[in-house]
Amino acid sequence: MSATPTTSTPSAGQHRLRHVLGQWLFHLYGFAGYAFFYLPILILVIFSFNDSRSVSKWAGFTLRWYEAMLQDRQIMLALWNSVFVAVVSTAIATVLGTLAAMALERYRRFPGRLIADITLYLPIIIPDIAMAIMLLAFFNLSGIGLHIWKVRFFGVRLAVPISVIIGHVAFNISFVAVVVQARLAQMDRTLEEAAQDLYASPWRTFWRVTLPLMMPGVLGGALLAFTLSLDDFVITFFTSGAGFNTLPVRVFGMIRKGVTPKINAVSSLMLGFSLLLVTLALLAARGREERKVGFF
Amino acid sequence: MNELLQRKPGLRAWLLLAPSFLWLLIFFIIPLGIIVVYSFLERDLYGGVVWKWTLENYRRVFDPLYFKTFLYSLWIAFLTAFFSLLFGYPLAYYIATRPEKTRNALVLALMIPFWTNFLVRTYAWLTLLRTNTGLINVWLQEWGIIDHPLPLFGNTFAITLGLVYGWMPDMILPIYAALEQLDRSLLEAAEDLYASGWQVFRRVIWPLSLPGVIAGTMLVFIPSLGAFVTPAILGGGKRLMIGNVITNQFLGAHDWPFGSALSVLMMAVMLLATLIYFRTGGEEARRGGLG
Amino acid sequence: MPDASSAAVELRDVVKRFGDVVAVDHVSLRIAPGEFFALLGPSGSGKTTTLRMIGGFELPTEGEVLIEGEPQGYKPPYQRPVNTVFQNYALFPHMTVAQNIAFGLEMRGVPKEEIRRRVSEMLDLVRLSGYERRRPHQLSGGEQQRVALARALINRPKVLLLDEPLGALDLKLRKAMQLELKAIQEQVGITFIYVTHDQEEAITMANRIAVMNKGKVLQVGTPQEVYEQPQTFFVADFIGDTNFLPVQVMQVTAPVEVMTESGTRLTASWAEPTLRTGVKAVMAVRPERMHLYRPGSGPEGPEWNRIEGIIRQVIYKGLDIRYEVFVAGECSLHVRMPVGRSEGTFQRGEHVIVAWPRAAARVFRSES
Repeated sequence: MSATPTTSTPSAGQHRLRHVLGQWLFHLYGFAGYAFFYLPILILVIFSFNDSRSVSKWAGFTLRWYEAMLQDRQIMLALWNSVFVAVVSTAIATVLGTLAAMALERYRRFPGRLIADITLYLPIIIPDIAMAIMLLAFFNLSGIGLHIWKVRFFGVRLAVPISVIIGHVAFNISFVAVVVQARLAQMDRTLEEAAQDLYASPWRTFWRVTLPLMMPGVLGGALLAFTLSLDDFVITFFTSGAGFNTLPVRVFGMIRKGVTPKINAVSSLMLGFSLLLVTLALLAARGREERKVGFF
Repeated sequence: MNELLQRKPGLRAWLLLAPSFLWLLIFFIIPLGIIVVYSFLERDLYGGVVWKWTLENYRRVFDPLYFKTFLYSLWIAFLTAFFSLLFGYPLAYYIATRPEKTRNALVLALMIPFWTNFLVRTYAWLTLLRTNTGLINVWLQEWGIIDHPLPLFGNTFAITLGLVYGWMPDMILPIYAALEQLDRSLLEAAEDLYASGWQVFRRVIWPLSLPGVIAGTMLVFIPSLGAFVTPAILGGGKRLMIGNVITNQFLGAHDWPFGSALSVLMMAVMLLATLIYFRTGGEEARRGGLG
Repeated sequence: MPDASSAAVELRDVVKRFGDVVAVDHVSLRIAPGEFFALLGPSGSGKTTTLRMIGGFELPTEGEVLIEGEPQGYKPPYQRPVNTVFQNYALFPHMTVAQNIAFGLEMRGVPKEEIRRRVSEMLDLVRLSGYERRRPHQLSGGEQQRVALARALINRPKVLLLDEPLGALDLKLRKAMQLELKAIQEQVGITFIYVTHDQEEAITMANRIAVMNKGKVLQVGTPQEVYEQPQTFFVADFIGDTNFLPVQVMQVTAPVEVMTESGTRLTASWAEPTLRTGVKAVMAVRPERMHLYRPGSGPEGPEWNRIEGIIRQVIYKGLDIRYEVFVAGECSLHVRMPVGRSEGTFQRGEHVIVAWPRAAARVFRSES
């Protein structure tokens, strides 16, 4: 190949080749990275449909593990317990966390701010195992114990694992507060002043202006709390009394006894649940964007 | 009342804070105090505590039997942070250099594993790594690549892999956030000048992404040190971390004072790490701001 | 009738401190009913804080705010008979235009039928009929501005507070809105208190202006008063263009006499009362009050000041010609002369006489 004045010198050509090769390797790396994250989950789901007790040798498609899961009263009860605990603790944590976020964002400096900050952020840093034993020791010493309260609620008999709910609220408050505070920080404070200027009392300002505008943050915080509560194993494991299982606690017990495609089926169910929540969060965010509520 | 509130904003702040603060005071701060107090008490034979002050629990922590576990946990946490950084940094860089739409999709794709259950994610690796029936060993043997199963399970490798898998998004996201703020033209210039690419990386990109690296390292190191589920499932009962020992003291051996002492020590190490993080993090931010 | 009740808004010796910073420093003002009153000053002068204390968004550290003779004390904003047009409009993004405008009446429990009627009246007033169902983000800057105005005016407040309401608009739209706002104010007859840093805007719109700097009110007066008879160096400098000549004070009683650094004697109509004979000062003269003459011509006599100079630059501006004249050993003077005078235009490098009447010259203490 003869070099014309416009073609690159050999060294530039080499550089170009190296550049293209480098880019290609870079893409390959990115692909491998995501494969690392998704392949194990994918394989887990695939073998939940395996027509064999094995989770490593494919023996044809079946739904029998899902049937077995649906017929397993213990799993179904654990599923109900998980959802119940998540709903109740999310509701409480969302209200408390939102109020705390408003205080921290609204009033920059006030006496005791440092103590409030530490108390509110420490549960995020402390690992769940430490929080779990702390709660266990507390329930034991205080005499609250790890009881299940039997409650009648509109004629429905409910088993309320009070210690588990208390624990879940305790670690969720902080996460809700952080998410809501981030949203509030973006909010234009003069909107609240404008409402007050237009004769709205602080109470009505909150309901008519502040709450609708911070709603995306509140929903985001609630969704995070709900997910964390559904996913929690360690704290529930320590704070639930004998005979009370949430789905993760039940799954942990099953794993201890051995690997079966039934666990894969339950895991797939939990994965599906998480995906549903993420999709909901995304849809909510997109809907907001289209209606252009909020300032952006 | 109204006038008092109007005049004292601090009072209004505390009125809003009161419910969550009280909740956390009773169900978090006081329990924390109980653990600290327990760690200085003696156990009784039936799993309770005797109200007699002692330092015996802290002496036992340094008993080689337990202290080895403690050092092993630190080692695992270090390995996890190290490999998360080693593999996570290029991935964060990869995401940050994509076009905006791809970038957002990739970040979302990273968040989805974060939203899925940690236990399920650990279990997924259990089905892959088990020595005789794990997918990887089964397939490798079927394809004739190996004769005997590889030791993939019940060891440091398995635990570290499980933790890296679980916590690497926490490393990638802060680094990505730091890299994304970099001037795009700077990155393009760096790509363009690949001859001195390494220099550009070392002198420009790495220092500017350091706050993200430090934050990510903390976010991976702390939960790895306190891991319980991963060693319990992937350690195969052979390799224990400090989280497992604490669990045993509370649920098995019924020695709460000793379990409390172990927890207090673990939290002290984490606090120390956090303090170091804030100090170096602050310094980096200052230097970054000046540079 | 007691004095206090004749003022729409009165500030009595009001001080506002944020920590160690004094934002508003002993301000006293009386604003008459129906007045268009401007608070004018650079950023950080305390004008917005003053407005926010009237609205109730800040409470004075010392002193009192009275609205129609009634002390406001700790009254929160929603109990004060004033409304505000915010700098960024602060329209509620989650409500339509009509819902935004109706908000205040709704909060006060006005019947639905009346609200509907008054909202459509207001939309007529600000020429936005047909925009009821739009959302704020679908409006242009000027339209958002008019919605903010309608949302405040519909409540028929005793006083309307406006915080740089035109600051975000481009120049052309701002000029148009200035006239529109003025017309609306005259139509509704409500007292307007208008915060701005734009001296031209204040002069165009206001009946009276309070010039503020560093938390203090330096001068209150009609636009003509603050323009023609500034009381301090800052006011003379901040409002309009002014030539400042460094001088030494020779005599402080009328007629005021000063001497330039090169020894020319000049006279002025007024000197700041704190000045004493012998101290250094500055003489301030507006460019349009100075005239250029060829050497040997031009007015003379005790009522006139004359000084020699060389034309350094000539800028044709259409309506007038601006000359920069270098005065030997002194400084540059800017002179503005209408086009088409008998002398014709002057050329660069030409020797000229700069002359101005004594009445146009004022002497101030120089600030740095």
